[in-house]
Order: sequence, then C-alpha cells, then structure tokens
Amino acid sequence: MKTIPPPCPEPESGQKYWRSLDQLAETPEFRRWLEREFPQGASEFADPVSRRSFVKLMSASFALAGVGILGGGCRRPEEKILPFGKSVEGYIHGVPQYFATAMPTRGGAVPLIVRSNDGRPTKIEGNPDHPDSNGATDAWTQASLLSLYDPDRAQRFAQKGNTISKESALDALATLGAAWANPAQSARTAFVLEQSSSPSRQRLVTMLQLKFRDAKWVVYEPLDLQAWRRVTGAAPYYKLDGAKAILALDCDFIGTEADAHRLIRGFAKGRRIEKATDSMNRLYAVEGLMTLTGMNADHRLRVATSQIVAVAAAIAAKIAPGNAEVTALAAKLPLPAHVKAEWIAECANDLAANRGASLVLAGHRQPAAVHVIANLLNTALENNGKTVLFANVPETRSTSTLAELATALRAGQIDNLVILGGNPAYNAPADVKWADAQAKAKEVIRLGAYEDETFAASAQTTLQLPQAHYLESWGDATTSDGTVVSVQPLIAPLFDGLTELEVLARLGGLPTTKPYEIVRETFRATAAGANNFEESWKKFLHDGYAAGAKPGDKAPTLPTGDITSAFAAVAPVTLSKDSLEVVFHRDSRMDDGRWNNNGWLQEFPDPVTKVTWDGLILISRRTAEALGVKNTTTSKTTTDLVKVTVQVGGESKSITGPVWITPGMADNSLGIALGYGRKKGGTGRIGQNVGLYNAYDIRASDTMGFATGAKLEKTGERYELAVTQEHGAMEGRPIIREANKAQYEKFPKFANNFDLEAHMDFVPKYEKPEDGPVGRPKGIYEHPYEAYSKRKSMNGVNLEGKHLKSEIHAWGMAVDLNQCVGCGACVLACQAENNVPIVGKDQVTRNREMHWMRIDRYFSGAGDKLDEMIDDPQAVHQPMMCQHCENAPCESVCPVNATVHDEEGLNVMAYNRCVGTRYCSNNCPYKVRRFNFLDYNRRSLDQLKGPFYSSPMVGGTDKEWTLKRWWKNPDTGIRPQDEWDILKLVKNPDVTVRMRGVMEKCTFCVQRIEQAKISQKVKAGQSGDVRVPDGVIKPACQQVCPAEAITFGNQLDPQSKVSQLQKSERSYEVLGFLETRPRVTYLARIRNPNPKMPDYREIPISVQEYIGPKDHPKNLNPLEPHGAHAPAKGGGAGAEKKGAH
Amino acid sequence: MDSHAPTIEVPLPPKELQREPLLLNKRPLGWISDQIACIVEGRTPKWWWIAFVPSFIIMCIGGAMLAYQVGTGVGVWGLMVPVAWAWDITNFVWWIGIGHAGTLISAILCLLRQRWRTSINRAAEAMTIFAVICAGIFPMFHIGRVWLGWWLLPIPNANGIWPQFRSPLLWDVFAVSTYFTVSLLFWYMGMIPDLATIRDRAKTKLRQIAYGIAALGWTGSNRHWWNYEKAYLLLAGLSTPLVLSVHSIVSFDFAVSQVPGWHTTIFPPYFVAGAIFSGFGMVLTLVLPLRVVCGLQDVITVRHVELMCKVLLATGSIVGYAYGMEFFIAWYGGNPYELYAFQNRAFGPYWWAYWAMITCNVISPHFFWSKRLRTNMWFVFAISIVVNIGMWFERFVIIVTSLHRDYMPSNWGYFIPTWVDIWTYIGTIGLFMTLFLLFVRFLPLCNIAEVKVVSEHGDPHHKLGGATGGHH
Repeated sequence: MKTIPPPCPEPESGQKYWRSLDQLAETPEFRRWLEREFPQGASEFADPVSRRSFVKLMSASFALAGVGILGGGCRRPEEKILPFGKSVEGYIHGVPQYFATAMPTRGGAVPLIVRSNDGRPTKIEGNPDHPDSNGATDAWTQASLLSLYDPDRAQRFAQKGNTISKESALDALATLGAAWANPAQSARTAFVLEQSSSPSRQRLVTMLQLKFRDAKWVVYEPLDLQAWRRVTGAAPYYKLDGAKAILALDCDFIGTEADAHRLIRGFAKGRRIEKATDSMNRLYAVEGLMTLTGMNADHRLRVATSQIVAVAAAIAAKIAPGNAEVTALAAKLPLPAHVKAEWIAECANDLAANRGASLVLAGHRQPAAVHVIANLLNTALENNGKTVLFANVPETRSTSTLAELATALRAGQIDNLVILGGNPAYNAPADVKWADAQAKAKEVIRLGAYEDETFAASAQTTLQLPQAHYLESWGDATTSDGTVVSVQPLIAPLFDGLTELEVLARLGGLPTTKPYEIVRETFRATAAGANNFEESWKKFLHDGYAAGAKPGDKAPTLPTGDITSAFAAVAPVTLSKDSLEVVFHRDSRMDDGRWNNNGWLQEFPDPVTKVTWDGLILISRRTAEALGVKNTTTSKTTTDLVKVTVQVGGESKSITGPVWITPGMADNSLGIALGYGRKKGGTGRIGQNVGLYNAYDIRASDTMGFATGAKLEKTGERYELAVTQEHGAMEGRPIIREANKAQYEKFPKFANNFDLEAHMDFVPKYEKPEDGPVGRPKGIYEHPYEAYSKRKSMNGVNLEGKHLKSEIHAWGMAVDLNQCVGCGACVLACQAENNVPIVGKDQVTRNREMHWMRIDRYFSGAGDKLDEMIDDPQAVHQPMMCQHCENAPCESVCPVNATVHDEEGLNVMAYNRCVGTRYCSNNCPYKVRRFNFLDYNRRSLDQLKGPFYSSPMVGGTDKEWTLKRWWKNPDTGIRPQDEWDILKLVKNPDVTVRMRGVMEKCTFCVQRIEQAKISQKVKAGQSGDVRVPDGVIKPACQQVCPAEAITFGNQLDPQSKVSQLQKSERSYEVLGFLETRPRVTYLARIRNPNPKMPDYREIPISVQEYIGPKDHPKNLNPLEPHGAHAPAKGGGAGAEKKGAH
Repeated sequence: MDSHAPTIEVPLPPKELQREPLLLNKRPLGWISDQIACIVEGRTPKWWWIAFVPSFIIMCIGGAMLAYQVGTGVGVWGLMVPVAWAWDITNFVWWIGIGHAGTLISAILCLLRQRWRTSINRAAEAMTIFAVICAGIFPMFHIGRVWLGWWLLPIPNANGIWPQFRSPLLWDVFAVSTYFTVSLLFWYMGMIPDLATIRDRAKTKLRQIAYGIAALGWTGSNRHWWNYEKAYLLLAGLSTPLVLSVHSIVSFDFAVSQVPGWHTTIFPPYFVAGAIFSGFGMVLTLVLPLRVVCGLQDVITVRHVELMCKVLLATGSIVGYAYGMEFFIAWYGGNPYELYAFQNRAFGPYWWAYWAMITCNVISPHFFWSKRLRTNMWFVFAISIVVNIGMWFERFVIIVTSLHRDYMPSNWGYFIPTWVDIWTYIGTIGLFMTLFLLFVRFLPLCNIAEVKVVSEHGDPHHKLGGATGGHH
C-alpha cells in the first residue's frame, strides 16, 4: 500500500502563520482557508472550555509522562508516554501550533504569535500581520516565556499567612468586595494598580469606581514611560521611518524607552540603503548615560542628564526664536561649558532643513520642561501628523498618588487595600516608606506573580492571590497605534493563577467573572458596527488584533499655564565631583525589577556594558579618576565598591555597589540601574542577592528620574563582575568595517579594501565567483569538495550524480551592520529557540556563557590622546554567531567527526558523537562555539551562584544521595524534582537538550530549515519542486530582529534576498583572508555625520585605528582606491598591512 | 707466549686527553652486580619511605581530583572559551616531552655507540614510561565525555563511523600509543638479563618465582645473548624515528591549527629539541639524588652528569634559537594577527609566563659552558629543576597565551587555573614519583650487564679485563 503522506495543514511551511505570502497572492486556497477561519485544531477557539480542557489534558500528560524525550539530552531517554485515550481533533502529534496573543506592557502591548508544542508554549514571536509590527519583539518579550515556567512564582492562595484553597480564596474575595462596597467602607478602601492599556480593565475599573464610590485609585509605576503623555495628555505615536533628522533628548528609544522594538524598526528603515546614493536618516543624541541610542547616533553630545534641559532649550530657541518662554528658559539655563554653540546651531539647522521629516524625542526620565520643548519643537518643525501621531490608548487615571495614599494609610484613613500586580513595597520611592504604610492596612488583597516584598510587608493581613502569566490569561491590550490586541492563553494556569480582570470582577461582584467573557464583552464596543459579532470575535482572536485603528494627527494643545509651570520647575544645575548627579535608569534587563527572577535576562549581557548578573554604578572615566576609583578587566574583572549617598526627603540615604567606568558617560554623573538588590523572601532563587544595591533606597518621589547633590566614596573593597566582553577595542582589526556616507558615495567598494590581501597586487587572485571569492588570493590547494565532486568514482563506488553539495539549497546569511542597533533581542530569541541554558554569574566570570549568538560591541576612541578616546567614543555592534564556513577550521580538527559539513553548506554538530575535546573551539577564528562545562541544564538554580560545583559523588538532591538518585534516573542531574518538572517544559522539543561535555553552536536553526523542507516536499508532491521559497525560513534571530538586520536564505537562488545582499558592494567576510569562506557575510556600516557639525570626522575612528598612526608611510587608507580596485597599480609597499597595533 | 716477541708498548695519551673511565675506582664486576642488585634485595631504606609515602598520598589526591572532574564536569578546571585547552594539554605536552630522554638515550645513543648511556639508560627508560603514563592521563581526561574517549580509536562498528583521520588529535593517539608500546618493550627487553641476575641471587622462593617469570627463562647462554643483542638493535632502530615522530606529531596539534602563535612550521623540530631538553633535565633531577642515596657515584659518574649537561646546553640553545626565529618570522611574515600574538606573548597579560620561560630555558643552560658549574652536583640539580619549570612554562605560553587573544578581540579572555587544575597536575607528579620509587625498589635501576661491558674489568683490551699488554 502506498504510504500517504501525513496531512499537512495549509499553509505547508514550517512556520504556517506566515500567511503573508498567500495573503499577498490571494490564492483560492488561501481564501478557502481563511473562510474556514481557524485552520487546524483551532475549533477549540470557539469554545474556551474545550480548549482549556485540551490544554489541561496536555499539561497533565506531560507532568505524568516526565517528558523523557525533552530531557533526554545526549543520553537515551527513558520514555514514559501516556497515549491520548481519545485524540484531539485536528491535533497532529509533534507538529507545533501557533496562536496569536499579546504581551501587555505598561502603556501598550507587543502583538505576538506563540508557538505551542503539545500544549506548552515554547517560543514567542512577534505577530507579523499586526499593522504595526514586522514580527519583531524585544528581549523582555522573548524572555517572558521563561517567567511562565518559573518554579518560584507564587503558587498558593494564602490568607493571613495560611494556605487556603482556591475556592475559599475566591469566596473571601467576594465577601470582602461586598463588605467594602458600601459608602463608608469604600472611603476606607484603596486600589493600587499598574499601568495598563487594556480596554477591559478600563471598563471594569470604571464599573468598580461606581461601586466603590469613594475609594482611592492609584496607578503606580516605578518607571512612567508615558512621561510625554503626562504632559500632552495624548499618547504619541512616532513614525521614525519618515524622519530624516532625529534628535533624541535623553531618549533611549533604541533601548529602554517603551515600544523600543517598534521604534528600532522605524529607525532602521530610515537607515536602509542599497546603493551609495540612497539617502539615510541622521540621528543626533543628547544624553548623559551611554545608551544604545547614543551608540547608534551620528552625532552624540555628552551632557549630564540634569543639564539636558539646557541643551533642549538652546536648540528650541534656535528653531523657534519667536517663542518668548523658550528664549527665556534658554537664557536662564547656561549651557555646560564643553557644549559648543556650533553644535546647537548646526543641529537646529539640520532639523529645520528637514521640516516635516524630522523628529524630536524626549526621554521618560526628563522633567516636564523637556517634554514641553520636544512638543513645541515638533510643532514648530511641522512634524505633527507626519512623524508624530496621537493614538487613542486607554489609560486608568489615578485619583491620588502613592505618597498621598501612604499618608492616608499612616493616618488610619484607609483600612482596605487592593494591590493588583506591581510590587510597591520594593519599588516605591524611599520617602514614601510604603512597606510601613501598607502594614497599617487592616485587610490587603494582593494579586501578585511572586510572594515578594509586598506580600512580606503585610503577610499576616494579606489575601494573596497568585497572578496568572499573560500566556495563561484571557485579556486584551492596546498597542501604541491604538490597535486593540487579544491576549489569549496558551496553557491553563500552571499554578491556578488569577488575572487582574477576574479579581476586579469578583471583587466588584460583577455578574461575569470569567476573563474570557469580560474580554468578549469589551470587544463588543470595538466591534460595534460589524455585521457579525461572532465572526469578528473569531477573527480578533485568530489574527490577534482588531484592525482599523488610525492614530490622529492633531497635536493636543498644551495649556499655557502648564508650560509656564514646567519651565519654572527647572533650575540651573552645577555638578562637581562632590556634588554628583544620580540617574535612575530602566535596566536593560531587569526593567524596574520585574524580571528579577528571570535567568535568561539576568544572563543577558547589557548591550552597553556587557555585564551580566549585576547592577552597576556607571561613571565616566574623568569622574572616576577624580574620585580615585577604577575597574580592571585584564585578568579578573574587578572593580571598586563605592558608597553613593543622596538626600532623600531630608534624610541621608546611601547604597553600596560596584562602579563601572563607561566610555561616553557624562562627567559627574552616576548611572544607577533599577531592579537589583533583592533578597531572599522578596524574589526567587535566581534573582535573590543579584546586584548589591537596591536603587529604590535612594530614589525619592521628586527625583524619580535623577537626583543631584550625591556623594561618592570608596569603600576600599573590590568586587568581581561577570562580563561577556572584556575587551572593548577592535585593535585596528578590520572586523567591523565602516565608512561615512560621503566616502561610501566616492568609493562604493571600500568594504573589501580592508581585506588583508587587498593591497597585495603581486598575489594571483580568484577571478570568477565560481572558483572562489573574487579578489581573494588563489588557494594553493583545490577545495576538497570541489575536488571530490570532480571525481567520477572513488573506491569503486560510482560517484556520478552524487554530489557533496546540494544543487537545490545552499544556506547563507547576510547581516547588515548598518541596520543592526545592537539591542540583542536575537541573543534571547536564539536562547529560547535552541534550549540554550543559563550558567550563572560565577560561570560567566569564567567566560563560559552559552549564548550561541553574541553581539560584539567595540568602542573606538577619538583623538590621539587616551583621554579623548574614552570620553567620546564611537561604538559599533556586530552580531556574531557560527559563520558556517565552507572551509570550516573546526571540522578538520575534530577527531571523531562530530562536526561535519552537510550538503547544503551547514556546519552541523552531531551532539551525540561529540566527546568534547574542544579542539574545534580553539581552531575557530570567530570563537563562536560554546562548551557545556558543567551540565548546565541539570544544575539546580541554587548551584548557579557557584563557585563550588557539587558533584554527584558527594551531596544530596531531594534528600537522597545524588549518585544513587542519578543511578536510578540519569536524566535529572542535580536538579530538585520540582524545578526539573517545570523547567523542562520550556524546552523546544525540536532541539536537543545538550548534556555536559558537548560542544554546541549556532545551527542556523536547522530544525526550522528541516521543517520547511519537509513541508515543501509534501507540497511539491510529484512536481519535484522541493526548493523552499525565499523568505519561508527565518531563523530565530532573523525572526525577532526589530531592525531587520539579518537575512537568511538560499544562496543558490539568485533571486533570494540573501543572494542579492551578498552581492552588495558593502558585503564582506569577517577574517575572509583565512579562506574559511563563511556563509555568513556582513554588510559594512555607514555613518551619516553632518559635515557642518563641530564633532564631524572625515573617517570613522575605527578606520583611523585600522590605518594606524598618521604619517606612517606604510599605512594605506582603505577608503581610497587602490589594489584590485585601483585604476593604476600601486600599494605593493604596503604588503604587510597594519591590522593589529 | 713467545718471549722473543718484542713487547709493543703503546704509550698512553697525555693526561688531559685521556678519557675518564665510565666506571670509577676500577670497581670489579662483582661489585657492580652487588651494588645495583642490593637496592632491590636489601631492606627498604628509610629514604625510600620518606619519598614514597608523600608521593603516594599526592597520587591519591590526584586520583580524587580526576574522580571529581569526571563526576562533575570539565568545568571544575579553569578552562573556558577562548582558552579551551590550558593546564591539561600543557601538562600532556610537558610529560610527553619528559618522556623523550629515555628512548633517546637508549635508542639513539645506542645506535651512535655512545657507551656512556649504559649507566643511565634504564632509569631514563623507566622515567619515559612513567612520564608517558602521566601524559596519557591528560588527553584522556580533558575531554568532556571521558567515557566515550574510546571513540578516538579506529574500532570497526555497526554505524560505520570512523575517527576523523585529518585531526591531529587522532595522530596523537597513534603516535603516543605506539611510542608507549615500543618504549615499554624496549625497556622490558633490556631488563631481562638483569632480572635473571636478581632471580639467580634471590634468597626467597617468592622472589625466585616472581623474578623467574619476569626473566623469561634467561640463562645467559651465548645464543641468548646473540638473540638479545640483535633484538636490542632492532628495537633501537625502531625507536629512533619514534623519538622524533612523537613530539613532532604532538606539535601538529598546534601547527596544523590556524591559531596565531600555533600555526608555524618551526614547531616539529622545535618541539623535539625542547622535549630532549626537558627529558634530560628530568633525568638529571632523578639521577643526581639517586646516585647518592644508592651509592652509585662510581657508576653514574660526574662525567655522565657533565655529558648530560652538554646535551642540555645544546638543546637549550636550539630552543632559544627557535624562540628568536618565531619572533623573526612573525615580523617578517607580515601577518598582523601573528605579529600581535607574539607581541602579546612577551608584553601582554601573560608576560610573566613568557619571561619565566625565557629565563629558565634560554638563560639557565648557558651556565653549562663552565666546566666548574657542570661538575657542581648541587648546581646541576638546581638547573635541572629550573629547566623543567621552564619547559612547563614554554607549553603554557604556547597554549594559553596564543589562545587567550586570537582573532576576535571581543572574545578575548584570561585563564586562571582552579585548585582542581593544580592538584590534578601535582597528582600526576605523585603518580610519577610513586611509580619511579617502586621501580627503584623492585627493579634494577642500572643496566648491570651493560655497565659491566663498559667497565675496565669488562674490557678485554684493558689490563683489568684480561689483556696483558700485547695482542691476543
């Protein structure tokens, strides 16, 4: 009997949610499929009850089965799989399913498509169909998956310290709600909420506000990323792709502002160039901390955070000289001494020259005055309606501040407290003294993801409800363009958690308490006018959003009084080494502390400092020198511990933390990250004791952004830090190649002039692309694969038609360094997709981090003097992963054939075959191979802290001798069963979980390639068209990249995007002279500085480093034509081109 | 004898041209047997226990370290990316290098008819074998999954997977195992006549049986001797290329790679010279105390020591030349990455290791130009230890400083050993000492038969050996 291929649901690619191709094609199949609405297995959508039970069944079977296949690693797994008694309709075992949902953020949401393997969400990806997304997400969104499976999440319902059942907790909630609803009690009730863009929550809050008439409503966020909204009253929606000149006033829109993933895309779009003549945007950044935005800026002005308002006012006075208030403000605030008037003037000129195509952004840390100025500037520059729009995003307004509430609590005016989400006991301003105030409440209802500081502050009076993760919840949210998105659960709550909506509904005694019903009810308003509500509801859930939101172009007019008071609130600031400024910044990993127990984020290197597992006190080199503090990176990375003292509400408060000298920091300014310094009892096993200080200890209500008048003193102690990149200089090596736009226009082929042999005219070179890279010296030996394919037979085996190289696929990747902003979302996407373990701080200090992908960041110093170099450096980023060399140095040295080449050009690792000699790593010039030194997948969370590594020979796990336990079941390692049971659920079943002693590395997401090839084969059937169409396969890094910097595809398809990019004149190979022939190529970076600016440099500093000291006779400028591209011969004398020192 | 025949007096060469005898004080043949065999036969001396007990304890600690490492993971060592090899391969190359002197002395010097080899070849060969055992531990245990180490052997299997013959690590497996096997055979075969001597002198049944079995029925017949000499010569011929090949192949681990600082063609001869250098250093370290505690000053004479010092001087100079040539080529080759690697060796973060190496290996052997220093046993002993420290540093410098800063500055790192690294290394020294002390106690540490051949009593042309002054 002929084997019928398994049914492959439409569309038949590995990533079936990419219906965009079909959508474009408008094929009849697609229409049919669209009408069916929910293609596979999604009939459950209509009925949440059956979907939930399906998901429950799945999770139960996993809990029972022990998921041997997942934890198997390189060992043969012990399989205990319970079969379905009855198969679920449309479900194909092993085939992942994709569901649309969204991650709610403070004032918005990230629209998502989440992959579910057998009922477990295993990978989060952006929803490419959403009108305001390209499928990109940020690092936090990627890592939120791990938080779902956090074994330290709040798991119990507790009342007055006792664990109670869910039912009694819900009863208690209803009873308390009913008791507080009367006018007398409601006046003694307060609600503390987090910011949310959920229309449903807004609807419920409005309903509850009627019920609890006199209750106080406080929306508290330690970081108000909607600061502009506070000023203008409307939610701004930026369209960066339309801006030719951008001015960022302490606005790290590439890193730590809200919606960065979306803003990066707009910014990168504006920088995309295909030819030298294409135009690109120009970014001016004025900032105090070194941020990703500053690192990507064409002109960066280093100004202390508290003095940025002066620069802003000066620029505004140039652009809108008629505005008396601005002129007065500019006159009132003196510019810092080192700021040149030319800088201000030329920046203003450039903005003015791009009227309607410019954009001024103000950062959330900045006072209202800066936001007012930004608003005035955008109005004056006619940007409103073009690069700035205003969206309708719902927002819950506070009726009182947190400080007022604390006062009321202390005064005994409030008895009943409802805290939904958040963690005010940890992150409230220090002068509020929230934990004490909270303890005064008689009854506290708390919905929290962790039994954290807020729980601990009043454990004896609290009704603690575990909060469901967003992947376990029904809900909705609004993205920054005003589009309503659906939040759908992918799994039944692992710990029976509740959502905010359910708690509010039950507390208010509302008739509907099921979040699903609540969201559906809210959606009726959104879908008003639709012919068929049921259809639009289904479409909403399926697509993940309700289309149709249009941000408006009318800028709200600011009341004059507000402007006056905002301007009056700022005063000139003088800083010195004895009166420093302290900047509280949103940490690139911990955010405000909410991701504290997330190991992926803890180990995610900060994009600027590359430090993991610690909060730092950032300081400029000059200030460090003045204060006598230093950090060393040569052998161990150690640094001085310092004490920072700040006046908080009249009290002198201090924190002690490690200092870190950061190039590009403003002088007399300290950058202090929020979110660290949490102790046992406040957070889980990962987060506790990470980072020495808690920045909230010195943060007051009136200095939420920054404080001045701080003092720093050395404690005399040293502290070791875990840094993933100790060496920040490129040493003049042409690893990242760049040029200014003007030079690129003159010498479009400059990128290849950096090659080591570019100047060696006497060496014979490849001339035809099929022989080797054109312009590269000819190899002495023939490429072994080519030699092999020329042979007719070998050892009596006929080789005709048996080629070692596929004639259908040759996978390659192009990384556009001009697009890449260095945000690092790809690093986490790769970690999630490929089951990359975390290793802990101790192991990172030993350079053993496991990330398959890293973002190399190099600083290049301006000027000849060391001083200048460190103060105003230029920075470049480079995503670095396995280069899949055709002549892979790793392959020839592996004694056991564990790393080999496949016919499609992948450098593949056979984990099962690897014995771990590590020779491949030594011989890899890119150092992209990672070795699992200590069985990181099976080490317990407690073991992450090192430095002694418990061996199974001694020590116990789960109260049993580990060796014995290991003997009984080798799969669990030294992980306690509870951790193991839940953490293994996060693993991608299509990727091996590697054991210790095995080398691992980037595979180009081979599992995605194979899935796509299989479905293409099924689709092709008899036609034989098995070539996977371009764009179908996206590795995790490409998929997540907000900047669209990474392109993967088939090099044998001349039309594929990757082939096109690799043919670009900017395309080059890193270390190509080694003749490794990498399949990953890079496109050189282009800077776009303004020649009129005082800090204009004719060539990028890294190129100057490459050329070497001026007046050196041997040094050739790669940005001048010579060598292969020169019209005339020359340059032979420069044969031994300087590349290092 | 014909009394009419004129006596032909061959005048002795002037005093300064006379060769010093290889056995001093005109010791008779019986004394040689007694003096060497009594170490095996007598009561265990106190010094032996003093040396053995700590060695044994250290060996056990080393064993515990390995057990901990296998049970927990290679991460208990200080290795990391980019320095994925550090003390493990440093120690491996160091021990293999030490293992060179034995076979060189017994094979190459045998072929070159260097008669002075006979006093020291046995101990040197034993040293070789134990050093190779110690060396073998490191590549075996440095791999991530020790229990799969046998995958490096070309064993036919159902999967049809073979080791990868292009990998220098695989060549290592063949080179080292061949070297070990041949050296072991050579050592054992050379010992058969002496084992028979001890069997014949044995006073207890146990000894008679044990040494009897080991002596393989040796009777000392002319036919036995004839076969023995032939076999010895054959094995010497077989071992000679091995002496050169082992370390050449070990050096390919580096030379074949493309790490700047490793990828150089000078490595094979340079490694072999370095190996002989360190091997002779270790022979001196062992033999100098032994000749005193065993009362063998007349067998292992000052002349022997001096000759070995000359070998040290020669090989040390070759090594020094190689260091210089590496730098020259790095500059002359014009490859900026290579140039950086060498600058970094000398002036980078590991400058101290580099200059320790230069001091120990390049400077210290040049003291041996002075005969006074060559004949000062304390001084020679001290230098022999310095040489071994220097050669350890040489391997450390090559391996660690090349790896820690290669092509991509973003991934540069600094290797720091852990206590497990250190104790594993010390543990192998304990193993080596334990094995060597057992050898000294239970096997004849000098070649009794061959020392007799080079003694005046054993020389038929010498008066003491029976010559009465004329032809015979």
